[in-house]
Amino acid sequence: MKHERSTSTATLNQEEAVTEKSWNVVVWDDPVTPMPVVALIFRKIFGYSNNKATQLMMTVHHQGRAIVWSGVRDRAESYCVKLQASGLLSTVEQDS
Amino acid sequence: MARSKIFIQRKDGRIEVKIAPDAREFLKSVVTQLIDAESDGEHPWHGVLHSPITPAADSDDPLRSFERQKMTATSAELMKLTLDETFLSQDEAFAWLASMQLGLRARTSEATIFTDEDLARADETSLQTIRALQFFLFELATTLS
Repeated sequence: MKHERSTSTATLNQEEAVTEKSWNVVVWDDPVTPMPVVALIFRKIFGYSNNKATQLMMTVHHQGRAIVWSGVRDRAESYCVKLQASGLLSTVEQDS
Repeated sequence: MARSKIFIQRKDGRIEVKIAPDAREFLKSVVTQLIDAESDGEHPWHGVLHSPITPAADSDDPLRSFERQKMTATSAELMKLTLDETFLSQDEAFAWLASMQLGLRARTSEATIFTDEDLARADETSLQTIRALQFFLFELATTLS
């Protein structure tokens, strides 16, 4: 019984860990979007500083993608929708 | 000689638009296609406007898809309504930016341009549209920044 209880507790903790994983908003590179457009959209949607928006834009450009926000799923999807409606290539994925 | 700016930030917060009538006609054709593509599943631009939000999920939350559709349509309609204006509010200018950017991505997707190599191989007609939209987007983004 003791063993079963600790197994059950361990399973519960694993489930909690899974549900607590962050959801990432990812922006993907494309060959045509002008760089100032990307940085401006980041500032407008997330309220990021010019420096942070530019840094994220450069990460997208050089690495092909950047995680621009992490947190709960609902908010991540809300941000992703705003990015998509602004014309950026964006998706949501769970932290691995 | 320095090229004059086509979008100018005025002290009262408005954006002055100094673009020629033929350029406005070009932008009108882009935004009209966006509006058509939103509701027409067969339109070549439809896919870009309905991209997956969470690709790992079996399907996206319909409310999120509806939210995106509403935002896209609102921006496109606002741009269409203000295409002949000389002055834009900040919100109207951002509607122009979002609609032109969506039009740019939709046009490149239609021409199957997904990489720099694809872009280098693109046909001249596609390139003309892409360069024109890039020009307007760059000018507006630098004015709003």
